[in-house]
Amino acid sequence: MNNRIVNHPVLGDLENKKKITFTYDQKTLQGYEGDTIASALLANGIRLLRVHEESGKPRGIYCNIGHCYECRMTVNDTSGVRACLTELKEGMIIESGKIQPLPFARKTDADDMPRTYAEFSKKCKSNKEEGSHV
Amino acid sequence: MEKLVICRCEEVTLADIKDTVAKYECSAREVKLRTRAGMGYCGGRMCRTSVDAVLHEIKGEKPGNEIPLNIKPPVRPVSLSSLGGQS
Repeated sequence: MNNRIVNHPVLGDLENKKKITFTYDQKTLQGYEGDTIASALLANGIRLLRVHEESGKPRGIYCNIGHCYECRMTVNDTSGVRACLTELKEGMIIESGKIQPLPFARKTDADDMPRTYAEFSKKCKSNKEEGSHV
Repeated sequence: MEKLVICRCEEVTLADIKDTVAKYECSAREVKLRTRAGMGYCGGRMCRTSVDAVLHEIKGEKPGNEIPLNIKPPVRPVSLSSLGGQS
C-alpha cells in the first residue's frame, strides 16, 4: 500500500502508527491512525471519491479544508460525510458517491406536445406552411 | 478557457454563464437562477465569488448582497440529524 513519504528531508521519518482496517466499496484497505478518509484512500492509490450525480464525471479531493463538499462520501450509512475532514476509524464502511437516476425520463413524445395555446397555434401554423397535413 | 467549470456542484461552465448573460442580459442573481451556479451542495461557497467576478468583468456589475435571495452561504452546513438527534 504505500504512496506515503516515509523519509522526508525536513519533516523526518514517518512514525510507525497503529494500522487501521477499513472497507472502501467492498474492498478491504489499510490506513494509519490519524489519517483522514481522503488521505488513507490517496495512500492506497484511490483518487476517485465520487462521481457527479447526474453526469457521472469523476470527483476527488478539491479544497481539502471542508468547504467544497466535493469529497462527500457515504460512511457507515451516513451520506454527505466529507472525506477530507473525517478521521479514519477502525472498521469504517465507506462507499463512494454513485450516479443517481434522473427524476424524469429524458425525452418522450409528450415533450413535443404544446403546453400553451400560443405554442399550439404556432405549431398549427408551421404545419400549414409545410403543407404536410390537411 | 470557455470549458472552465465555475460551479462544480452543478457543473456550470464559464461558457454557460457567458451565454446566459449574452442571451438574457441578466444580473448575477439571475445567472444563479437560470444556470443553477451556486445552488448546489456547497451552497455557493466555492463559486459565488467567481460568478460575481465574471459578471463584473463582462457587465461591470458590482457584487452586492442587498437583494433578497442573494447569496447567504452557510458558515458551516449542519444536518437536521445533528439538531434533532439520530438513534
